[in-house]
Order: sequence, then C-alpha cells, then structure tokens
Amino acid sequence: MEQNCYITFFSIHQAIRAEKLLETERYKYKMVPVPRSISSSCGTALQYKCQDITTLRDFLRERNIEIDGLYRVKEEKLRTLSVEILS
Amino acid sequence: MTGNKNNIYFDNAATSWPKPEAVYRSAEIHMRSAFGNPGRSGHTRTLAADRLIYSVRERMANFFNIADPARIAFTLNATDALNMAIKGLLEKGDHVLYTAMEHNAVLRPLARLKTEGTIETTMIPCSEEGMPDLDFLENAYRPSTRLLIINHASNVVGTIAPARKMIESAHQKGVPVLVDSAQSAGCIKIDIQADNIDLLAFTGHKGLLGPTGTGGLYVRPGLGLKPLREGGTGSQSDLEFQPENMPERLEAGTLNSTGLAGLLAGINYIQERGLGNIHEYEKKIRAYLYERLFDIKGINIFGPPEADRCSCVISFNLGDTDCGSVGHILESRYGIFCRTGLHCAPYAHRSIGTFPAGTVRISPGIFTTTNDIDYLIKALKEIATLAGI
Repeated sequence: MEQNCYITFFSIHQAIRAEKLLETERYKYKMVPVPRSISSSCGTALQYKCQDITTLRDFLRERNIEIDGLYRVKEEKLRTLSVEILS
Repeated sequence: MTGNKNNIYFDNAATSWPKPEAVYRSAEIHMRSAFGNPGRSGHTRTLAADRLIYSVRERMANFFNIADPARIAFTLNATDALNMAIKGLLEKGDHVLYTAMEHNAVLRPLARLKTEGTIETTMIPCSEEGMPDLDFLENAYRPSTRLLIINHASNVVGTIAPARKMIESAHQKGVPVLVDSAQSAGCIKIDIQADNIDLLAFTGHKGLLGPTGTGGLYVRPGLGLKPLREGGTGSQSDLEFQPENMPERLEAGTLNSTGLAGLLAGINYIQERGLGNIHEYEKKIRAYLYERLFDIKGINIFGPPEADRCSCVISFNLGDTDCGSVGHILESRYGIFCRTGLHCAPYAHRSIGTFPAGTVRISPGIFTTTNDIDYLIKALKEIATLAGI
C-alpha cells in the first residue's frame, strides 16, 4: 500500500501557477492526473508526500493560490483504498 | 498587368505582415512537438501545453499591466472578444454608449440587441478628424447606461480617442468601459491599471504580431459576464453549468495553442524592441507618408495630420477616382497591397465625409521602410496622371 497527498485546483491556470511558484522551492512534488476518487477539479493535481503537506498548503495559500481540495489517499494496485479529506 | 513581382504590404491594419521570424518558428515548433490539448488529460504533453498557455496569459498580463492574468480569456480575435463583452454584460433594459468610429464588430452586435428590444443605444458623434464629441458624451448618460464602448484607434483614419478622459467621465457616472484595442495594441501603450479599463478587447494578429485566430478579453475583477460559448473546460466536469471562475468562464473548447505560441513570440519581439520604440518608429513612418502624400496633385487626405494623434494608418482619395480602382491598379501594376472601401466602419466614414464612396487606406507596419513609401508615392503620382488629375 502506498500513501499520497493531493492538492486539487479549480482551474488549470491555478495549477500551473502553483507549479511555477514551487519551481524554485525545495518541495518535491509531481503534477499528475487527478485520481477519479477525489474530485474532478481541473484534471491535474499536485501530488506530494504527506508528512509536509500542511507546509506546502500554507505556502500556496499565502500566495493566493485557489486550492479546491486537499486529500490523503491510500492506494494499492492502481486502486483507491481510502480517501481522507484534509483541510 | 498582373503578376507584378513587388510585394509591398501596406495593409497592416487588416493583419500585420511580415511577422517576426520567431513567430513562424514558435508556432511551427509548437505544432510539431505534438503538445497535448491544454487543460485536458493530465499527461506531460498536456502539461506542456498548459504551461505554454499559462505563460502567454502571464505575458499578456505583463504587457497590459493586468494584475491577475486569470482575468484574461483567450478569444479568436477582437470581434470575438467584443461579442463576448457586449453579449455577456448587457441585460434587458440596459443603455449603451458608443462612438461613431466603432467597427462593425461593435455596431452589429449592438444593432441586433437593439432590434430585438433588449437594449437601447446612443452613438457619440465624431468630428471629421474622427474625434468623439465629449460634450455630447457628458449629456448622453442615462440612469440605465450600463456600458461605454470606445474605439481606441480608428481603423479608417487612425485617430486615437481620448480614452482616459472618456473613462473618467464614465466612471463618474458608475458606467464600466469596454475598450476596443484592435488597432492600438502593440502600437500605443495600454496600461489597464493606470487607464482604469474595465474590459479590454484585443486581437493577436495585428500590432501584437501573432497569427490570426488569437486574441483576448480582459475582464476587471468583480465584473461577471455570461459566457458567449459553453462547453468543455477540462475542469470541474461534474458541474452542469459553465464554471464561474475566470478564465474558464469564457473559454469553452480547445484553445488555439499553436496560435498562442506564435503570439508569445510576437509579444517577446515587441518587448525586446520596446513598445515605445515601435510607436516612435510608426509615428516617423506615418509622418513621412503624410508629408509625401501631400505632394500628390488632387489628393484628399482624411484624419488628423499629426502623427502623434494617430495609429499608423492614413486614408485618402485621389480626386474623384474610385478607391477600389486605385487599389486594384496599385496591386496589379505595382505589387502594392492596401485596403479600399468602407473598412467595416460605416459611421467612421460618415464622420469623415467619405460615405458611401470609401477611401484608399494605407497602413504601414513596423517593417515598412521609407523606400517602400517612396515607391508608393511614385505609383500614386503615375496613377493620378493616368486618371487625368
């Protein structure tokens, strides 16, 4: 089983804005297709390791990125086991 | 008399040509590298397209000094953007003010809404030089006035409207302003924040030097528009209706990413050469053209004589000749391309006194040289002689 955290955005513009802001930062993230189990949002989500997720969330919020949702997802063999909505 | 090998292009007000080399390259590279559909899917090619669109939006915002790039929706051209603003903002019973210099891109959407009984309109008359009557404007507001539309620079005579004064006047009455920058963007500085513009329609393929099929509409924060088109945005797909947030609110369907890649290179070119330098160059070219045209016997030149009151456009007629015939000889005998007729702006021609005959319009561009103009003058002198003027 693996665990990932996802940040979703209302629009791709906000997603790419987030990516641009993070480019020069130390965060190690990936832009990935949004898992169907969480939200339709804008199709692209930011995937991030869960331990530092609130730091990353705050970093984006401070820069006025419109975040749609924040999720912790447990996955196994390409299937979602559980989704936890974080705030 | 056809097949002249010269290729002197004086129709930049219709679409600019040539484009900077980088514009051709950028569009081609984009198409060849098989970018994905921006906003759709989440694979890396789509992301590459998303990043491109993002940077064009950011660059356009920087170019017009727009605080939030998300307030720019990309459109097909200025006409599309004007339709979006007019039909998206106006409700039944609204009253609209517009100038006589407006293009059919403004006149026709307004005419339909008016005929259908949705809106009422008042046209602000313009002088023979194409300047809107500001005293008339002051007295034309009604409690129901919902929009003032300003043609920033005339496509017929180039006259630059006193936009800041007009915007100030409208804002005092609480009326938002839509600026049509089809002829001014890329030539005259537009600063959304300093100019206090509520809605700006721009096209990518004229002064901004990009490909056709590109343009945009800036919408001031707080101003909500009904979408002109509805459909896929690649986002919030579970919503039954078009999302509220910009730019998706106004962008349905796949964007012209190839065109926008070209537009980005066009803006790069303008910023590298400097908008101020481009404006100075165009003023110099227009002043030279005006002065040389003055030499031609029997010529009637329309619009303001001073280059700093105009975009790079001059309209004229040779005596009582037919402007269409003059345009035809210019091309067939001399290889000179220009535009003749009414230029989709019937009330502009009424204002300057050339309706319904029209004019010959010469619109040089940033690559026009004084040699090109000398050649045009030589041609026009010969045509005048031919016409017995």
